[in-house]
Amino acid sequence: MAIPTLLLGKKRTGIAKIIGIGTTVVVFLISIVIVALFQYGSPGFQFTDTASWASTFGLDYIVGIDGISLPLLIIATFLCLLAAAGSRDLISLREPEYYALFLLFETGIIGVFTSLNLILFYVFWEVVLIPMFFFIGIWGGPRRKYASLKFLIFTYAGSAIMLFGFVAVYAWTGATGSPSFDYTVLITRTVSLAMPLQVVASLATFVGFAVKLPIFPLHTWLPDAHVEAPAPVSVLLAGLLLKMGGYGLIRYNLLMFPAADKFLWPAYTAIGLITMIYGASVAFVAQDLKRMIAMTSVNHMGYVLLGTFTLGSLGVSAAVFQMFAHGLAVGMLFLMSGYIHEHTGTRNINELRGLRGKMPTTTALLIFGSMAAMAVPGFANFISEYQIIQGALSVTYLYGLAILAPALTVGYFLWMLRRVAMTPPIGPKNELSTRPLLILTAFLVPLLVFGVYPLPLLASAIRPTVDHALSVLFPGGS
Amino acid sequence: MSNLWLLTPFVSIAVFGLLVAPVGLIGRGKSPIGVAGYAGLAGLVIAMVSTIWLGFRGGPSVSFGGFEVDLFTYFFTGVLVLVSLFVAISSFDYMKGDPNTAPYFGLLLLSTLGMIVLAASMDLILLYVGWELMSVPTYALTAIRKKDPNSNEAAMKFFVLSALSSALIVYAISLTFGVTGSTNLVAIASSLRTIGSDTRSFALIAIVLFVAGFGVKMAVVPFHMWIPDAFEGAPTTVTALLASGAKMAAFAAAFRVFIVGIWAINVDFYSTFAIVAIATMTLGNVAALMQKSFTRLLAYSSIAQAGYVLIALATPTTTTMSPLGLAGGLFQVLNYSIVKTGAFIAAAAVSTKLAVNTLDSFNGLGRRMPQTAFNITIFFLALAGVPPLNGFFSKVMLFTGAVYSPFSWGGYLAVTALINSGFSMSYYGWIIKRMYFDDPADSSKIYEPKAYTSVMWIATVLVFIIGIYPDPWIRLVQGLAGSLVGLRNA
Repeated sequence: MAIPTLLLGKKRTGIAKIIGIGTTVVVFLISIVIVALFQYGSPGFQFTDTASWASTFGLDYIVGIDGISLPLLIIATFLCLLAAAGSRDLISLREPEYYALFLLFETGIIGVFTSLNLILFYVFWEVVLIPMFFFIGIWGGPRRKYASLKFLIFTYAGSAIMLFGFVAVYAWTGATGSPSFDYTVLITRTVSLAMPLQVVASLATFVGFAVKLPIFPLHTWLPDAHVEAPAPVSVLLAGLLLKMGGYGLIRYNLLMFPAADKFLWPAYTAIGLITMIYGASVAFVAQDLKRMIAMTSVNHMGYVLLGTFTLGSLGVSAAVFQMFAHGLAVGMLFLMSGYIHEHTGTRNINELRGLRGKMPTTTALLIFGSMAAMAVPGFANFISEYQIIQGALSVTYLYGLAILAPALTVGYFLWMLRRVAMTPPIGPKNELSTRPLLILTAFLVPLLVFGVYPLPLLASAIRPTVDHALSVLFPGGS
Repeated sequence: MSNLWLLTPFVSIAVFGLLVAPVGLIGRGKSPIGVAGYAGLAGLVIAMVSTIWLGFRGGPSVSFGGFEVDLFTYFFTGVLVLVSLFVAISSFDYMKGDPNTAPYFGLLLLSTLGMIVLAASMDLILLYVGWELMSVPTYALTAIRKKDPNSNEAAMKFFVLSALSSALIVYAISLTFGVTGSTNLVAIASSLRTIGSDTRSFALIAIVLFVAGFGVKMAVVPFHMWIPDAFEGAPTTVTALLASGAKMAAFAAAFRVFIVGIWAINVDFYSTFAIVAIATMTLGNVAALMQKSFTRLLAYSSIAQAGYVLIALATPTTTTMSPLGLAGGLFQVLNYSIVKTGAFIAAAAVSTKLAVNTLDSFNGLGRRMPQTAFNITIFFLALAGVPPLNGFFSKVMLFTGAVYSPFSWGGYLAVTALINSGFSMSYYGWIIKRMYFDDPADSSKIYEPKAYTSVMWIATVLVFIIGIYPDPWIRLVQGLAGSLVGLRNA
């Protein structure tokens, strides 16, 4: 759909908008149908579709979803829909190209969450990268050139190392049957791989995913990219791009190299802890609202890393759920920061003092969004963060340290709200129109619904898959 | 002989190549390019069509003396004629009004013929004939702008080093003949298998000389020095021919000589190629980042790409003796030729229209020359190996082949290559950034001649076709690699 958007849009920008947003609506409806038809409780892959692609080289088009990809698929289509809707107001430059790249991005992201072939996964992974480079570079803020190039080089170098992990697995498992890039074939073979080789492959893929997630020493592209990107793109970046890293870690690292991860998990979780606390500390000093939200992402993705490498069912499924909840909460905050910037001309937290006077409803939504990000009980984020920490504690009490991170998170969010919302209102009123407000509210609905009643997703979709996968990998518990 | 019609593509190029120059002298008239251009184009089109026809027809390979007409030859003929076609089409604008168009097109065709002979030769004497037939016209082509000192300097530098490489190859051939008593590659292989310890050292010298001789044309470190200067000084369309055609033909010859002939001697030339490959790609990529001119950047990037193809010589077969690395190398030859020719043609378009080719002149090119900028973006992403463009799959095959090889250093080779590939994105991305994100000093729109854009679009379409559905191509190169390895047992 991307190509017709570009071609038609050349003639009239209105058409590009309609097709662009229309397609995201259609895709979202399809994903709702998938949600409805999904067989809850069954651990395997469903809706698998296979086609021969380059089978001579072990490459086939194989897609399917299971309990781990289902929540991410929903959030991908949902966020794409909301971000496209938000672009209507926030993007006014070169619209045909924008919506064409947008749909290319959506293709890539859905492909990442559904493909079951390593190379196919990598193809979609990179398909996501290129539109993002142009999004930041063309539609971004003042430092967009620097940010876009930094983003491209960081993530591309990371992917290259990840690709090494993939081709190495292909070659090393070739000894036990015809070599293949098929995920379902490979997970049965990697188990019998020699330990040093598993460790190498695990490390290589870890680096690739760590850049995307991002993880402490490799995160420096993130604040730049998020701050410079236009608000709807920041939603995609934080809401979906980072989730690719988390999803990859679970599916292509943990489930493929369990033995190596059993050896490496202390290092991985320690990095996760550092990332959590570091992200939260840096967010404290951020003056720019968007930068603060960006650092929140670093902070929250640390949870995903920690949860994943507790190697326990509780932690892993909570990590998946955390990605779901974080994508919504941070997506909402980013889009809001875009609207606030457009209406007030600033994103500096100190200059936003008295926002209540100008945009009362938005301020109320900002408070809700912050509550979600702070993981206040009642929001989905609470469930996931609580379970991750619980899972971590069940491994060793040392992870009591993890409690520091939510404490810091609450601290900086409250401080931000103290400055923005709890100050005397300064007029005149300049509120958002109804549509943007509706879009922002739409983020809250699933957060609250799954915050109060997480069972349908957590217990019947994610848990069975994770339980099953882990019980195969770690017979007799971790 | 009834098989002579199998030679149609080669004869067509030879006949038209010889005819073009005299024909061009008679009927020039007011046309800016003359009859010669059309005659040359006709020869190439006939060659292309007949190559595709004969290639798909299949059939057993036929040997005309040392001139082996097999799928490998047709494959390289296809690639090289495609490059030559691209160059010829774009020359319609680039050489417009030049007094020497007739010799230009004649030499272009003859040089292409030389490259094809090189790829087809199973005999070392024929190989040398092809080598010279390829090289001599390119000296003249590089210097075709007689009044341009840069062009002359480039030609001089190129000539000296190229002549040296020819000498090295002649010496290598004579040593090989002295050791094995034959110039036929299959006979050489069977003789080398039982080589005595007294003559072994001579064979080693011959191998070193082959590596150095081919290395000059393949532009591998440490024989790469002439590349940036020659590529920058030569007319840019000729550079496209040198960078894609001559280089890939040298690889074709190296594949024949090493995979069919020299493999039989029990010498670890594989690790030599691995070291050279690593040095080549690293130096190419690092140096490319520091360039200020677009053609020099492309020159260093082509050095880096040669490093990737070398992986095919370092790790041709896997532990299970399936020639995965070799197939990847052949695939990379195809992809590289399309993309790199396209990129140099784009450079020609920019340099004729802007009269400079500094990187600063690329600022805002996305708005000034939208078609060229878009195509350069696609070529660069393909060169960097971004899926689903064609360069990705050949690279994956090469790197997988390296990990999968029986050598313990295969994994390190693959890691280095992948880090290089990741690193190369920095300068490709930098140019893309300049074209689309930076503001031009002068934002007037520039007319893009059809001669260039048509070539670029064809190349881009091929990039996508091969990239999105690579299966038939992967089958093709795997078949080729298999048959090449199969020649060992012939």
